[in-house]
Amino acid sequence: MGRSLAFLIPFVSLIAGVVSGGQAAETVWSGLVIAENVAQPQAVPPELTRIEGSLKKFFGYNQFQVIGQSQKTLKTGQEDWLATSKFFGLHVDAQGESKAGYVLSLKLYKEKELLLETDAKLSKRSPLVIKGPQVGSGQLLLVLVIQ
Amino acid sequence: MKTFEENWTAWLDGQLSGRELSEFEASLPDKAAAEAEKADTRKLGALLKSELGAPALTNEEFFSHQLRERIMRESSVPSVKREGKASTWWTIPRLLWTGTASLAVFVIFTVFVIRDKNPAEESQYLTQILNARVDPVVSPNATVSMFEVKQDRVTVLWTEGLQSLPADYAAK
Repeated sequence: MGRSLAFLIPFVSLIAGVVSGGQAAETVWSGLVIAENVAQPQAVPPELTRIEGSLKKFFGYNQFQVIGQSQKTLKTGQEDWLATSKFFGLHVDAQGESKAGYVLSLKLYKEKELLLETDAKLSKRSPLVIKGPQVGSGQLLLVLVIQ
Repeated sequence: MKTFEENWTAWLDGQLSGRELSEFEASLPDKAAAEAEKADTRKLGALLKSELGAPALTNEEFFSHQLRERIMRESSVPSVKREGKASTWWTIPRLLWTGTASLAVFVIFTVFVIRDKNPAEESQYLTQILNARVDPVVSPNATVSMFEVKQDRVTVLWTEGLQSLPADYAAK
């Protein structure tokens, strides 16, 4: 009986964890990325590993460098945060959680100038990539991923 | 009106009296033989009473008898209960295991089967761009378009014509 319970309790806990796992707090990674073509590309940052192939395919660059980032753990789904580089700022305002993900309002600033504004429903299983302005020989990309 | 047999039985038991007795004895064909039979019957009755009567119990025996009966009654009830318990298949460990197994099957079915059974609903698991706009003053010729790549599960907001910036803006 004792041995059975010792096996049973972790098993039940595991199942309870799987069941309740969908409602745990989640972290959104927001990054400002400069995509470039260089002779010796650096390794892709770990946050972008998952979508490295897609980035290369869509944008045609071989190097992706993070110039600004933010990691925000969402508890209420109503938080807001800022990912900044020296000249750019991405303001993210979460406006609620749905079954599929979070409704986000995004604003890209160049210093104090608003360049781009968009609303998106960010899915837990699907990253969002926004093509920003051309910067030198490269391209500014905004990437949002639920980790 | 009593039958002869009823009167005969009553006479043997000495229940007849008065006029009934004299009338019955007058009707007997052989009174001497009847008297002999009556005497035999009484002897037989006395013998049966003395030999077959229930033996009287002494106080001690009566107490022992009562005690034995009570012990038998009390010991027979729990044994029935024990038999009942032993015979059921639903012991507590088995109940626990059955419950856990049912829960596991439910979770597997819910998490894996139902979710994968609805590919039509997959689009709701892709990020959706609800709207997008650029500042027409800063970038008057800019356009936006959006597309979803279901294979990679990536949603892209594609802008064209945004103001180009010098390489210095790539600084961290």
